Amino acid sequence: MRKTVIEPNGRNLQYWKDIWNYRELAYNLAKRDITVRYKQTRIGLGWAIIAPIINMIVSTFIFGTLAGLSSDGSAPYFLMVYAGSIPWNIFQKNVAQTSSTFITNADLMKKVYYPRILSPVGACMASAFDALVSMVVLLVMMLVVGYYPTPRMLLFPFLLFLNAALGLFLGLFLSSFNVKWRDMAQIVPFALSVMQYICPVSYSISSIPDKYRLIYSLNPATGMISAFKWCILGDMKFDPLSFIVAVAWLIFFAVFGIILFRKTERNFVDIV
Amino acid sequence: MSENQTSLKIENIKKKYVIKHVTKKPDDKKERAKLALYNLTHPKQANQKEDFWALNGVNFEVKQGEKVGIIGKNGAGKSTLLKVISRITEPTDGKIEFYGKISSMLEVGTGFNRELTGRENIYLNGAILGMTRAEIDAKFDDILEFSEVGKFIDTPVKRYSSGMFVRLAFAVASHLEPDILLVDEVLAVGDTRFQKKCIQKMRSIADSGKTILFVSHQMNTIRQLCDRVIVLKEGKVIYDGEVEGGIRLYNSEAYMEKRNHYEYKDLARLPGYNLDKAEILSLDILHNESCIYEADEPIDFKLKLKTKVPDIGDLSFRMLIWQADETPIETAFTKTFANINDVGEYEVEATIRNHNLAPGLYKLTLILSGGNSSSNSENLDYIYPAFVFEVLNADGTSRTWSRSWGWVHFDDVDLKLIEE
Repeated sequence: MRKTVIEPNGRNLQYWKDIWNYRELAYNLAKRDITVRYKQTRIGLGWAIIAPIINMIVSTFIFGTLAGLSSDGSAPYFLMVYAGSIPWNIFQKNVAQTSSTFITNADLMKKVYYPRILSPVGACMASAFDALVSMVVLLVMMLVVGYYPTPRMLLFPFLLFLNAALGLFLGLFLSSFNVKWRDMAQIVPFALSVMQYICPVSYSISSIPDKYRLIYSLNPATGMISAFKWCILGDMKFDPLSFIVAVAWLIFFAVFGIILFRKTERNFVDIV
Repeated sequence: MSENQTSLKIENIKKKYVIKHVTKKPDDKKERAKLALYNLTHPKQANQKEDFWALNGVNFEVKQGEKVGIIGKNGAGKSTLLKVISRITEPTDGKIEFYGKISSMLEVGTGFNRELTGRENIYLNGAILGMTRAEIDAKFDDILEFSEVGKFIDTPVKRYSSGMFVRLAFAVASHLEPDILLVDEVLAVGDTRFQKKCIQKMRSIADSGKTILFVSHQMNTIRQLCDRVIVLKEGKVIYDGEVEGGIRLYNSEAYMEKRNHYEYKDLARLPGYNLDKAEILSLDILHNESCIYEADEPIDFKLKLKTKVPDIGDLSFRMLIWQADETPIETAFTKTFANINDVGEYEVEATIRNHNLAPGLYKLTLILSGGNSSSNSENLDYIYPAFVFEVLNADGTSRTWSRSWGWVHFDDVDLKLIEE
């Protein structure tokens, strides 16, 4: 029989083994989130399609028509906006869900043991599902308007994964602060809505003047979103600077996010 | 697997909580400003913190297949102990080793989602409790049958009655197959019939050789399920051994405080007292705030009792006084004080005089008996201990009564000097 040892500041190896043992839980939590979201709604999954489309129409009107910004390459403006909204949505949802995971799942976590990281991972899987639905819609729109994808679109799962991972790790990083200071629950949504405007979601990164480019690229989401758009929009130019910065952020948040999360999950139950 | 293999080993487990003391703010504005300034300049003193040790060095070892009841007053550390063993929170110090898989039934229904159907919840809850999909598939029919939810299995659980909900929740939890099962008070669910079924299920889990740690305030359930009892007090193990001894200690622990008012609703009765005819509900000590009595001061108290069947007949008490460390000292068989034919609640006033007790701490047992003739009189309720009291020195002197002088004093001694 497997022997388990519980000690203060317990060993990490055990934890990663447990994640493997409980792997089905993440899937079940994701399934729960998806099922519950569309239960008792009339058009169910339709909401995953309608909401981003309305968003796209509004953004296209404001940034493309009113502000007259240019698109990436020859892509129709609305397609560029829609392509930007997919990575942004997954990033943004993951940050929001993960940073509050200790609070939203407190009832469960106080009663049952499981590797706590599976709660945010499950939630991220649910938002990945929404992203995939949006991808199908994007593909349909591209075919309808005759803006055909290039082979580099095959990179999209990888780039979508990077966006999701960045959101998850940033969320893990913030989650430990959220336990002690509930101010985070106010700050995170606010910061995210500000951040959306300093990311190339609804406009092209090329709209940013060169002298602001470096500062602009310091936003961790900038490079990831721009890279995702690059793989969708065949004639867009790749922006290496922002992508390298984003990967650096990703590594930073992965390391410190996991360290802080592990530290917090040991006994957050005593605080929450 | 041999019977004597260690299943769970707990070594010097400690768990500390930090309690923050908030200084009460003065009403006066000036004073408040002063305090605020003081707190700013003395940040260390501003947040007075105190360590609270919920567990303070717990040690025990459980062998494979043992069923251990953990009892103790509220705040003794039982739930904290289960939380630490089930890895919900980490210990501050010490080490726990266990073999195999631990599952806990800390509260049935945890992780259920009200929007999901019964079927969906079985899979979700099973996964939360550590079952794989294949395991749940294999047990699905059993779970469904046990829960008695039947055709409502595909209805969202928010439409379930509370009874159906707990039945389903218990059904999932009880079909876990861990090597060690931690149970915290979950058997108090559903109606009496379902509770019986739950206890049977627990018994069969117990009989299948699993190790069980069982926290409960219901001593009868402990008696039915456990073969060993651990009593916790202030984060420490104060008893570890056979069941009845532990329950006796728990009862005296829980009630070993001098108080003026006692409720007996939750007091564990001895086996055989199912209280279906009459029950002593509560007791109030009269005319004495502290429960400390001068040597010959009478002890007055008032009882509330309830009869549950008609024609209970002649009621009388047997009262037994124990010394604090469980030595019986003396007994009184009272006369019949009432003849009751109706069902209802009654109040009885009692006075104990001339108990002749030596100075010390005592407890009293009350045994209520009833019957229509002395031949069919039976004991209806047995309260142990009914209350705790202290007796002072005979003449108010400070002379300490030596234990070697015994537990009662006798005063009726005639002495006469006969002149030669």
